[in-house]
Amino acid sequence: MAWMAIVGAGICEIFGVIGINGASTRKGWPYIVLMLVSFAFSFSLLSYAMTSIPMGTAYAVWTGIGTVGSTLTGMFLFGERKEAKRLLFIAMILVAAIGLKLIT
Amino acid sequence: MNRNWLYVFIGGLIEIVWVSGLKHASNVWEWALTALAIILSFGLIIAASKRLPVGTVYAVFTGIGTAGTVLAEMLLFGEAFSLAKVLLIGLLLCGVIGLKLVTDQQSAKGGEA
Repeated sequence: MAWMAIVGAGICEIFGVIGINGASTRKGWPYIVLMLVSFAFSFSLLSYAMTSIPMGTAYAVWTGIGTVGSTLTGMFLFGERKEAKRLLFIAMILVAAIGLKLIT
Repeated sequence: MNRNWLYVFIGGLIEIVWVSGLKHASNVWEWALTALAIILSFGLIIAASKRLPVGTVYAVFTGIGTAGTVLAEMLLFGEAFSLAKVLLIGLLLCGVIGLKLVTDQQSAKGGEA
């Protein structure tokens, strides 16, 4: 359950970042609402996950999922190039996150 | 040191405070401090990335947050040292920093950051 919560927190973080980008470029209040709600969910889920997963591990995986997610969002929704080196870094993060789950 | 980079470093250090708060806060005042730390660290990072390359700012910020939380849990909160865990977190950090630095090269070419 705690690991599911971290994945959920990482996904909420992606929406939070979309909200920040929208709020800073278009000044629209819907983006500010999206940002606040997404981060509220994200931090609540992260806090819940840390009741049973060590703090450093939970934070690292949360950040990793947020980074991978926003990169994939850029590639698939905003037409960024799928460069080999970006895919390699994504693979590194996923291998590390799975390894951490297995040893925790 | 450039004032904007100072914001990034202070923001990264405050990041460690709120992550610790999310795990360890137990009363209203500690939760209020945690919320304040979240607002402060994000505010500093957003202010810094208006003047500096966004990918590099986030790479440094995440690096401080990741290394800092691992150190804090071992030095302050008595979590046992595990070599395998530290190495895996190091690998994850390399992936995050790599992805964020590549994002700057994309923005420089005119891509969406």
